[in-house]
Amino acid sequence: MTVTVMVVDDHPIWREGVARDLGERGLDVVATAADAGAAVRIAPAVRPQVVLMDLNLGETSGVEAITGIVAKLPETRILVLSASGEHADVLEALKAGATGYLVKSASVEELVDAVQRTAEGVPVFTPGLAGLVLGEYRRLAQTPAGEPAVPALTDRETEVLRLVAKGLTARQIGERLVVSHRTVESHVQNTLRKLQLHNRSQLVRYAIEQGLAE
Amino acid sequence: MDHPLEPLWRGAVVYRVLTLLTVIGVSAFHFREYASPIGAGLVLAVMVGWTAVLARVFLTHGEVRRPFALADPLVSAAIMLTTPLIVTDAQLDASAPGMGSIWTSGAVLSCAIAFRVPGGLASAALISAALVLGKSRVTLTELSDIQILVLAGLTVGFASLVLDRAATRLRRAAAEEAATAERERLARAVHDGVLQVLAHVKRRGAELGGGAAELGVLAGEQEVALRTLLTSGDAQVDASGHRDLAATLRALASPRVTVSAPAHSVELPAGTVAELDAVVRAALVNVERHVGPDAPAWVLVEPLDDAAGVEISVRDDGPGIPAGRLAEAEAQGRIGVSRSILGRVADVGGTVELDTGPGRGTEWIIRVPGGVT
Repeated sequence: MTVTVMVVDDHPIWREGVARDLGERGLDVVATAADAGAAVRIAPAVRPQVVLMDLNLGETSGVEAITGIVAKLPETRILVLSASGEHADVLEALKAGATGYLVKSASVEELVDAVQRTAEGVPVFTPGLAGLVLGEYRRLAQTPAGEPAVPALTDRETEVLRLVAKGLTARQIGERLVVSHRTVESHVQNTLRKLQLHNRSQLVRYAIEQGLAE
Repeated sequence: MDHPLEPLWRGAVVYRVLTLLTVIGVSAFHFREYASPIGAGLVLAVMVGWTAVLARVFLTHGEVRRPFALADPLVSAAIMLTTPLIVTDAQLDASAPGMGSIWTSGAVLSCAIAFRVPGGLASAALISAALVLGKSRVTLTELSDIQILVLAGLTVGFASLVLDRAATRLRRAAAEEAATAERERLARAVHDGVLQVLAHVKRRGAELGGGAAELGVLAGEQEVALRTLLTSGDAQVDASGHRDLAATLRALASPRVTVSAPAHSVELPAGTVAELDAVVRAALVNVERHVGPDAPAWVLVEPLDDAAGVEISVRDDGPGIPAGRLAEAEAQGRIGVSRSILGRVADVGGTVELDTGPGRGTEWIIRVPGGVT
């Protein structure tokens, strides 16, 4: 089945260029949007399988758009395609629900491959992304006692993430750890899911606290 | 921004004018008894003139203050040395002041502001000597005057030193802040333009092939360089002498080198960061030399649990280093790797582990203890 994609980017040349590239390679670009507001409005109407999301959308932010889309379309996968590589932004996007990240300098083949893997539910993890996620778990581990439980990685998950961060492919990691590359991918997926769950529960907690305070 | 020493200069001028008026008043009281009233009048006129010159220079010509501050104690001392020609011994015995009197202490202040503690002490010594020579006596009055001169020179000299340091620090902080703001502004502007176009050229170039592909590769390299510059910039040393290791190593990213690190900063003493930066560069050069100029390499920066330190990994997918190869190279006197990696890491109290083997690539694992926030 053809994968349906929505491209969100504020830069028209880039947006149309990417849409054309994807179309030429057999993907179905069902919509494009230039800012967070339009993206959140249009997405429910076209229900894309994958949203290709730039993080810097002029006055609006990609993280906002991701939060809005994930709330309405939990089945839709978000792949971040960013030029700036702002580490903090990328991390926020992941926590908000994105399952992959690619820098805009990636080749068309890499991009198409990433979109397809995202549609299949496989996280698109660059070494840089793994480094960010590892760092975030380390940071969370250092929150003072008394705070609500923070997510932690299992030893195996840490091992896998570190190997991803060191540039090994899922297959190479599978060979090293003597497991299938599918198992490797599901470990990676778990690390992301825990982070996103934690983020969501924190948002809820924050909302309740604010509500009670008023 | 007004330099913090400006108020001190203004204060020195005010002090000089007030003491001048005091000295004129006291001299008027003693005028008739002076050995040479005309001489006294001339000296007072010189004092008025010199005060006017100093006021003008100190208040409006900041760039030539130092020579005038240097001349000030000399002029003041000269005025004090006219005392034996003008003031009679009888007057001095009756505790009349010498020429210049309290006005000359202003020279110590200007010198201390211009030349800090050494200036204050040297001018206090000069004025004290002129005081004793001019009056040719050392009584309790002179001793307490000397004490006050030295104290004033010390205090004002030290105060101006401290103020100046604070101003420098403030200026540096303001400059850093401005640089960061400018980088952020550029990053926002460039994101929408140059980076996008470079990425676009890279992709289209690769598709078109031939000469265009070459252009595309060049555009890609510039894109990575520019993105690195905009996102990490130059990792600055903070007030406590720490520097962000993550930002420092991110600057090493290139089309063949991927740098992975936490989103938050990894602060280590600046000296340690500089050594680790050199270690990682050496390891990357090693990859280039032994695996190939285009061989990819991965750098991972990872804070260890419990703030126990930091681990850096530099890995390549090359053929690996055969067992004993390093020892052999060392035995042959080629100690490049040992010195640039092992030596440096040992210097900062860290350890190095080498993980290598056929089909496994080569990985340097560098662990450095402590101090991570």
